[in-house]
Amino acid sequence: MLAAMGMSSIEDLFEDIPAEVRMTEALPLPPPQSEEEILADARRLLGANVALGDRVSFLGAGLYRNYVPASVFQLVTRGEFLTAYTPYQPEVSQGMLQAMWEFQTLISELVGLPVANLSLYDGSTAAAEALTCSVRVHNRKATQKDTVYVSELTPPDRLSVMYNYCQGADITINLLRHHSDGTLDLDAVSAAVGSCGVYVEQPNPLGILDGGLSELKEILGENTALIVAVQPVSLGLVEAPGHYGADIVVGEGQPLGSPITGGGPIYGIFACSKAYLRLMPGRIVGRSIDVDGKVAYCLTLSTREQHIRRHRATSNICTNETLIALMGAMHMALLGPEGLHSLAVRNMTACLLAKQKLGEIGSIALPHSNNHHFNEFVIELPGSSQDCLAHLDTVGIVGGFDLSAWYPERKNWLLATFTDQTSAKQIELLVAHLAVWASAQGVSA
Amino acid sequence: MSNLFEHKGAKGQGYSQPAPILPESSISLPPSLARKNHARWPRLSEPEMVRHYTWLSKRNFGIDTGFYPLGSCTMKHNPRVNEVIAQLPGIADIHPHQPEHHIQGLLAIFHEMQYMLEVCSGMDQVTLQPVAGAQGEFTAVRCVQEYFRLRGESQRTKVIVPDSAHGTNPASAAVCGFEIVEIPSREDGRIDLDALRAVADETTAVMMITNPNTLGLFEPDIVEASAIVHDVGGQMYYDGANFNAILGITSPGLMGFDAVHFNLHKTFSQPHGGGGPGSGPIGVKSHLAEFLPGPLVKKRPPLGDESQMAIDDMWYGWYQPTRSIGKVQQWHGNAGAVIRCWAYYRRYGRGLRTMSEHAVLNANYLRHAIHKATKEAGVDSMVRDGAEAKVAKHEFTLSLQPAKESHGISAMDVAKGLLDKGYMAPTVYFPLVVPECMMVEPTETESKETLDTFATHFAEVLQVDAETLHAAPITTPVRRVDEVYAARNLCLRHPYDDE
Ligand SMILES: Cc1ncc(COP(=O)(O)O)c(C=O)c1O
Repeated sequence: MLAAMGMSSIEDLFEDIPAEVRMTEALPLPPPQSEEEILADARRLLGANVALGDRVSFLGAGLYRNYVPASVFQLVTRGEFLTAYTPYQPEVSQGMLQAMWEFQTLISELVGLPVANLSLYDGSTAAAEALTCSVRVHNRKATQKDTVYVSELTPPDRLSVMYNYCQGADITINLLRHHSDGTLDLDAVSAAVGSCGVYVEQPNPLGILDGGLSELKEILGENTALIVAVQPVSLGLVEAPGHYGADIVVGEGQPLGSPITGGGPIYGIFACSKAYLRLMPGRIVGRSIDVDGKVAYCLTLSTREQHIRRHRATSNICTNETLIALMGAMHMALLGPEGLHSLAVRNMTACLLAKQKLGEIGSIALPHSNNHHFNEFVIELPGSSQDCLAHLDTVGIVGGFDLSAWYPERKNWLLATFTDQTSAKQIELLVAHLAVWASAQGVSA
Repeated sequence: MSNLFEHKGAKGQGYSQPAPILPESSISLPPSLARKNHARWPRLSEPEMVRHYTWLSKRNFGIDTGFYPLGSCTMKHNPRVNEVIAQLPGIADIHPHQPEHHIQGLLAIFHEMQYMLEVCSGMDQVTLQPVAGAQGEFTAVRCVQEYFRLRGESQRTKVIVPDSAHGTNPASAAVCGFEIVEIPSREDGRIDLDALRAVADETTAVMMITNPNTLGLFEPDIVEASAIVHDVGGQMYYDGANFNAILGITSPGLMGFDAVHFNLHKTFSQPHGGGGPGSGPIGVKSHLAEFLPGPLVKKRPPLGDESQMAIDDMWYGWYQPTRSIGKVQQWHGNAGAVIRCWAYYRRYGRGLRTMSEHAVLNANYLRHAIHKATKEAGVDSMVRDGAEAKVAKHEFTLSLQPAKESHGISAMDVAKGLLDKGYMAPTVYFPLVVPECMMVEPTETESKETLDTFATHFAEVLQVDAETLHAAPITTPVRRVDEVYAARNLCLRHPYDDE
């Protein structure tokens, strides 16, 4: 090949790189490996990890270990999907374009809003982009300019993403108070009237289903975006936010279609009402026709996006999470409406049984037990959750999430999670070990 | 065939589920919470669902289907063992909140990737958290922004980008709140130092640039450009989308950059999945390291009991940078993508340089072959280089401006003609500075035969008359799609019968 180009050495191809910037030494890295060696090393290293399935796990806190049907994995690794890129040539990308247009429809129906994009990076970036979007749409009429309100329960890592995305637009994020039973203080919400957006979660970060959220739109009025983050599986039982006035719905799509995978790749859901369409972030597929009048799909409303609008784009996102959204679409297509309902029932009843059983242990408390919960709830322990989790770990139980990581003063709060993968036996095991540990705390105290 | 919502087949669910742990009647949601109507999702059996998506897949073109010379996207082969690895429970079934002693193997791989990217880029510290190139840009510019705030240099409100820059560069800087200053490129597509000097001043925060640039050319004046920006107190940012050209040969560190993002999915072959996922780690010099989003992975010798679980006598732990900007993704980034890219890197190890050499060889050979084939076919007057250069790097640009002027054939026409030949078309109309631009990137994983055949087919397309080409493609699942119709008659979801 070099000879054909009239060159004698590969060096000739790099003659344009000045000597002063050349690397002079070989990279200090190990030698190349064969496929077998790489796989063996991967098995050794990843095998040293504790996979949740190796233990009895009650860890969730935003990511949920649901069953993903086998056909999802089989189909999503078809090379035509897996190894394609952004469908800028629609004539040879109809498969992914149609699948994403169907994804938009599935999400739209799920959350009760007419528009959905084909994914953002994760739930936290979807939430952050929803806030900046609400300011773009409402700032002109807002009496509290450049201001949004966010539930004070929002996990700090999610809040941190919001701050990072909002600070460039000089957006002030205020926090919304909650009652001691874990529900939103609706009286305090009046402070948010006239702001650009209000962000709440349903279920909230403590697993509480808060019926009061259905009153928010009436309090806020038309000039403030109501942004609701959801656990999508819960919507098999719980009202779709679009039906109680939400303007934007976001969420971690992961429980539909994707394993947890260390927190990524997963996908962020973003749906909205038509008023937000032209200022929303992310890609959208539209149904169109080809020159013969045949149904055909293509990316549309691209003039919002960075490759056209550059620094005036509604978002900087380019590569997104399409393939994981496709897994979500496949899972939804398999479930159907009744399947989603059953899945939600399984998740919710697992949580319910756990609440009943744990409620029988005298030495622990369930501070928010008067609420309905989805997937998870807070257990107040007679000692620190850190100690409790360390103890449970020694008996092969991943006991949940230490809430002092979110709320530093809550040293004794444990967030325990129950999904469709939780069995009655596992709950009994947790109850037994927690009871023993908790009573030992009583003795030493 | 129909869309998912038009299937009128079997009722029921595509997979059976176990009974709930308690009867459904034990749930009693009040009206304020209970869902009233089901989502109008389709009801498909598993075979129907499998056929639907198999049918869709056949209407999609991936690297597995054929040559995919999409410039700036580095569409190299995606080895399948990487998919096998990413499905292992030691990554697929890991929760980001598990304690360190549960994830020593994962942290060891993270650490190895941080280190590999550090030595390849000449940066001091890498974070794997950003999940795509654009998010890497955003993260790095945020770090620089905080760095300047801390130094009391908040007057630095501007970010300089060349007009040939990818759209995410200005968009990411704008999300951070910076004002964008665009500078024109020279005739030959390279950076115009005079234009840079004219705008660089005490209000400059960052200059963002990729090298090789978006025309696939190495910027010989890069050190000078770095000096100009550093002299006014600004920072240099390297867009690593084109990293595939320079591994083991030069590095952003040697060129004087302070921060860089890697498009890990491009350079290290995370499958692009029809638009994502990606992974966009960033590397920075030491003065920016404490601003990075946390946590980072650090290693040390194990203490006490830790030695039982240590990997190769090392203990891996999270480290929170002291002045961290916070998080840009809630978890630890696209860990699954990082694992696949680790597997790709391990194929080359210290020989990563050969990867870049082959990528550059393939690009130059293809450029040569296209010129040769078009000359032999007598159509060389229809196409010219997007920019004059003796050698390109991992990609090159062509301009179809002559074809447009002489025959009324646009870059898009040629792209559609190539689709009919069974190829994915190269990137068209980017970078914007080349008229009727076509940007071609073959990557290192294509054979000489593929490149030769593509060149021949390219020349054949140029011999097709304009009218026929305007009508292309004709062999694809649909013919030219009306994008204007799509935008004017917005149909963003299935129109149900009652709507
Ligand atoms: C030159 C360049 N910079 C930045 C990006 C953005 O990267 P990503 O799509 O991963 O966000 C891309 C590719 O899409 C690119 O080609």
